[in-house]
Amino acid sequence: MFDLEHNVKSWGDYLRSKGLSETDVVELESHLLDQIDDLVNSGLSQEEAFIISVKRLGNVNMISEEYSKINTENLWKHLLVDSTDPTAKSRNRRQILLVILLSLLAGTTAKIPYLFGADVGSIVFFKNISFYVLPFIAYFLTTKHSSTMKLRWSLLGVFAVMCMIINFYPSYEPYHTEILTTIHLPLLLWLVTGVAYMGKDWRTSKARMDFLRFTGECVIYGSLLMLGLMVLMMFTIMIFQSISIELEWFVEDHLIIYGGTAVALITVYLVGAKKSVVENFAPILAKIFSPLFLLTMLAFLSVMVITRTSPFMEREFLIGFDLLLGVVLGIVLYTISARNLYEKQTIFDYLNTALIAVAIIVDCVALSAIVFRLSEYGITPNKLAALGENILLLINLIALLVLYIRYFASKIEFKRIETWQTKYLTVYAIWFAIVVLVFPIVFHFR
Amino acid sequence: MDLSKDLVAASATPLILAILRQHDSYGYEIIKTIKETSSNEIVWTEGMLYPVLHRLEKNGLIESYWKLSPEGRRRKYYRLKAKGLLELEEHTKQWELVYFVLSSTLNASSKERVDSDV
Repeated sequence: MFDLEHNVKSWGDYLRSKGLSETDVVELESHLLDQIDDLVNSGLSQEEAFIISVKRLGNVNMISEEYSKINTENLWKHLLVDSTDPTAKSRNRRQILLVILLSLLAGTTAKIPYLFGADVGSIVFFKNISFYVLPFIAYFLTTKHSSTMKLRWSLLGVFAVMCMIINFYPSYEPYHTEILTTIHLPLLLWLVTGVAYMGKDWRTSKARMDFLRFTGECVIYGSLLMLGLMVLMMFTIMIFQSISIELEWFVEDHLIIYGGTAVALITVYLVGAKKSVVENFAPILAKIFSPLFLLTMLAFLSVMVITRTSPFMEREFLIGFDLLLGVVLGIVLYTISARNLYEKQTIFDYLNTALIAVAIIVDCVALSAIVFRLSEYGITPNKLAALGENILLLINLIALLVLYIRYFASKIEFKRIETWQTKYLTVYAIWFAIVVLVFPIVFHFR
Repeated sequence: MDLSKDLVAASATPLILAILRQHDSYGYEIIKTIKETSSNEIVWTEGMLYPVLHRLEKNGLIESYWKLSPEGRRRKYYRLKAKGLLELEEHTKQWELVYFVLSSTLNASSKERVDSDV
């Protein structure tokens, strides 16, 4: 069955991704629909009418003409196809060259810990993992958006200073603060990289929303590429094994590292260059998984209440639940950021709200367990970090719920939800910075 | 009959202003009106219309507002402003002048031919 609404929407998204303003896109969409209505009235099917109307509107701009050539069925084929416009073509080539160069550089940086006697897989290696990739991504993004030199060098300066502090801090048994740093540093520095993505508008809500969407799209593209890389590695090991050559050392020492950094940079390049592709299927993924996560959490809560078991006796589970809440928040945020501002309320808004509400309950259960452990076993850096994160998440979720309810009551516009959420990102950045920089000192680097 | 590109470009502004003088309208309807009034002889493309509309709006000859269509669609309507009305009168005078000169020259030359035939 041909889904007209979906096709019109993806056409509009395409125009948006090519830089047409929101009002122009809405105007052209309504033009397209008028045209389709007339053609349908004269006896064409919706699909035929859509195709003809898109072709006819093709002359609005080279832009939509390009769209009418691309068949949504095989979008992937167009991923790396060079553009037909010569200037865009040479710019595209230069970007690809830059991506290759930066990937090689990044992979080589990942070898630096060897010089200090740290192996792949050691905590020193993982602690520095952000520095092998993120500065290069920041460099690429500032080049691509032709940002000012000042912005670029201050960002790279932040990376350099962080790198020195992190490696200057000592670490003693049982290495709790060092592990916390390893977990939180990439999160903090990803937000710093976000400034490179957003450029000088990084304080505005619109730029931050774009960055959230960009993050979600990077996760999806990155996972796909990573899967491909893993398949490649498995086959490499297997086929060489069949001729009695052990290649595991090569794969472990080189392919994983260079492949990993390349995946990261290619992901960033692809999300920017082929935005329209991921825009078509990322919202679908979010829509498939938000009801599934909702069901899982509901089932979990009801079983927990019926059997009266506390799930948080073990520390590992606490971290697992924090991750779960993070993923749920990610899905909620992605659904919000990928949403069309002018859309009316849909079933997915209600679903999103239900997801938030259930996540609040789960978060409260987790919080009570943390408080219990804190009072029972005393303060440790892990518990304090978990406590802080859960409180931040709880505030975030409750605020989203309140704003959503007010939006349903037509008291506020949807934009308010976005504005609040993007402002709250700063709070996360501050908390991550505290965990990375202050925690080790407070807990004497233990 | 295909109008030449130059003529289409030159006539777009007065025609749009004239349509908007009758009543407020939106892009799709304007194209349709032109097509019907000219008995399918003049068919504008969207690629020509929207840039002209947006330019006229920027120059303050027309203004736009959003309104819901009967189907509940957001539609961008355009309305003629006082400055646009003056512009339309100016254009009309110029077109009348061109038409007057063209037709009287043609009449005179056909008369001459008739005279010389006799």
